[in-house]
Amino acid sequence: MLTYVVRRLLVAIPTLWGVATGVFIMARLLPGDPARVIAGVLATPEQVEHIRHQLGLDQPLYVQYLDFIGRLLRLDLGVSAHFGSPVAAEIASRIPYTVALAVTAIAIAVILGVSAGIGAAIRRNTPLDLVISALSVFGISMPVYWLGLMLIVLFAIQVHWLPAAGADSPTSIILPAFTLAVFSVGLIARITRGSMLEVLNQDYIRTARAKGAPFRRVVLKHALRNALLPIITTIGLQFGSLLGGAVLTESVFSWPGVGRLLLDSIFFRDYPMVQGLVLLFAVTYIAINLLTDLLYAYVDPRIRYD
Amino acid sequence: MKRRLLTCLTAAGLLLAACGQATSAPSGGAPKQGQTLTVAIGIDPDTLDPMRQTTTTVQNIVQMVVQTLVQVNQQGKIEPLLATKWEQSADGLTWTFTLRQGVKFTDGEAFDAQAVQTNMSRVLDPSNTCPLCGIMPKAVKSVEPVDANHVRFTLSEPLASDLFLGLLSEVTFGFLAPQTIQKGTPGYQDQEQPVGTGPYVYSERVKGDHVTLTRNDHYWGKEPAYKQQVFKVVPEAASRETLVRSGQAQVILSPPAADIPALQHESDLKVLLAPDDRTIFIALNTTDKQQPLLQKPEVRQALNYAVDKNAIIKSTLFGAADPMTGPMAPSLFGYCQQPAYQYDPNKAKQMLQQAGAAGMTLKLISPTGRYTQDFQAAQDIANNLRAVGVNVQGPQTMDWPTYLATINVPPANATVDAHLLGWAPGYLDASQQMTIFDGSQIPKKGLNTSYYDNPQVNALLQKAATETNRQARAQEYCQAEKMVWNDAPWIFLWVQRFPIVYSAKVKGVSYVPNESFNTVYAQPA
Repeated sequence: MLTYVVRRLLVAIPTLWGVATGVFIMARLLPGDPARVIAGVLATPEQVEHIRHQLGLDQPLYVQYLDFIGRLLRLDLGVSAHFGSPVAAEIASRIPYTVALAVTAIAIAVILGVSAGIGAAIRRNTPLDLVISALSVFGISMPVYWLGLMLIVLFAIQVHWLPAAGADSPTSIILPAFTLAVFSVGLIARITRGSMLEVLNQDYIRTARAKGAPFRRVVLKHALRNALLPIITTIGLQFGSLLGGAVLTESVFSWPGVGRLLLDSIFFRDYPMVQGLVLLFAVTYIAINLLTDLLYAYVDPRIRYD
Repeated sequence: MKRRLLTCLTAAGLLLAACGQATSAPSGGAPKQGQTLTVAIGIDPDTLDPMRQTTTTVQNIVQMVVQTLVQVNQQGKIEPLLATKWEQSADGLTWTFTLRQGVKFTDGEAFDAQAVQTNMSRVLDPSNTCPLCGIMPKAVKSVEPVDANHVRFTLSEPLASDLFLGLLSEVTFGFLAPQTIQKGTPGYQDQEQPVGTGPYVYSERVKGDHVTLTRNDHYWGKEPAYKQQVFKVVPEAASRETLVRSGQAQVILSPPAADIPALQHESDLKVLLAPDDRTIFIALNTTDKQQPLLQKPEVRQALNYAVDKNAIIKSTLFGAADPMTGPMAPSLFGYCQQPAYQYDPNKAKQMLQQAGAAGMTLKLISPTGRYTQDFQAAQDIANNLRAVGVNVQGPQTMDWPTYLATINVPPANATVDAHLLGWAPGYLDASQQMTIFDGSQIPKKGLNTSYYDNPQVNALLQKAATETNRQARAQEYCQAEKMVWNDAPWIFLWVQRFPIVYSAKVKGVSYVPNESFNTVYAQPA
């Protein structure tokens, strides 16, 4: 088990190096001059040049690259071109918001999605199944931007129950989390339903039922546990992408998470910030994939990592 | 398994509750009437250092904390602020300012001639970043205290008073407490927690979310009504609108333009379409090699006649602009009105035909979301031009840095024939507007992106920059404006208005006609 984890972590190193190099090149392939963006249209060419020098953008590309990788090895992400403060500090100040939003949304998605999926599977081809399946398609295809605004109109403007935007009260998280969860609820419900149906047709389920095990126990213990692998994979992937920031939801609700930070940083051509964020997302994905794989072994005793 | 799943979910719930706690800003109970004014702004400030900032929204916030020697009032005129009077020597090379007495920075330091010198030497230090310093570092030779309450600026060449005082009115040249910007400390290069002499004090900032200012209870001037003002970062226009509709914010800037008519009908909201100095125009490549017809002034004039400015303002900008009546906004010193290019498609068609330009092709680009309804307006303009037989390719659009990189190129590298752009001088003097018609400002030197180069105009602009006689100076600009208007390096479009929406429960929300809002003396209605 431990050797497996260590091996996986070692494999992550070349992956991260590849990501770092890729994002370094891609950021610089974008047209536009970061120094000009920072200086604004009214600045003189000397002032633009001064800023370019301060950012080190007047150095040859390979020097910039070696500097970037060198810093990275010392776990230094550099200084944001836009904010003028360390990238790591900026990202760290946004992470709690993103994590809070992602955890809340995934919790909502798991509770609603898994229950709805189980419900649809055991009541297969009934009106309930039809309603749940229709709603999950609805959830998957709903544009979050529109949904978010509609929820704001309803809950913040019409009935004044919840804040419309921002992150300054404990109830602020409800609307963005729910908006964000809607897609995942639909997806998780569909996967759960499919996976459960496959299992429910197996002989051992019939055996369990024939033995006289209560229906509840059969569904949750015998069926769900065996149907869990694809569900866990889906949840893991969803969680990973939620942690990568939900740009649209964060924008509609003015939620100061990392997704909006990335979008802004791209528009400002803030190379160090874009590099830092993309690396963070890569690390998050690698970690979540590893955790998902470890969870497989826990859920399914047949899987062993030696 | 079921129990484990439940435990897991409960744990997640607890974790989320904990995170929710950690991320919520200290709110300290429900605010009382007149306690807090919340203003929703569209951008997250990159910096709060007056020296380093480049955007009007940031200027508006910082101006409540940091003050300048002089300021621009609502009529666009210069008036005293931290200086009570000033004198210019006969040769125009020295300026002596009398400072307001008894003014203190909010850290207790006195505002005096020494403080002025400390600040000016920081801002003018070439090793510091000061994007909006403009000509100041070159123009100012020295700043010296005469006594505690008088300070003398010595210039290396005479500057027109409107230009010099206009520059000094910008918050770029605002005064920070000397202790916070000592040379050799980090604050010398970047001071993100400005300490000034203004009616409000910087108190907190959560990046990406808000900036909070609290009232300066020892302010030397009139005391503001609100104890606290919160500037909330809300990038989406539609979300800003929901904030003022739900009562979570009392003031918002720039709602979605399409909603302005509906907002004007709301009884509990007020819409202020504040005069602004941002001109919106289509810059034409006057030295175009791909489309040499654009080199002819009569072709460019014809394009001006072809665009129905009034109709586009009414239907696409929802009234949030006024047609241009000269190459600059009327609020600028030096503006003089020019005869309008009245919409006349037949005349335009005829002129194009006479110039041999019937059916000419024109490649047009426009930014999206940078100015009010910019791309939508560009589409209307393209249709107007097509109606007179111009074969318009586009409008194409791209993100701002790409756009800037496309238009900010020397003439030889130009790839488009026409581009939509906006230009807003920071202070209300013709000089900063007219630089964009100055032949010495062709990219990469400046942003004269129509590549307009008229020696007569250049000479007039150079003369006006150092002219000390105000009347003569206004005349020089007027002459230059007339030539520019006739040569038509732009399709002159409109002067944008700056929409501010606020709750009817608030009064005293004000503006300065250089794209500034002013909530210092807002109060509960």
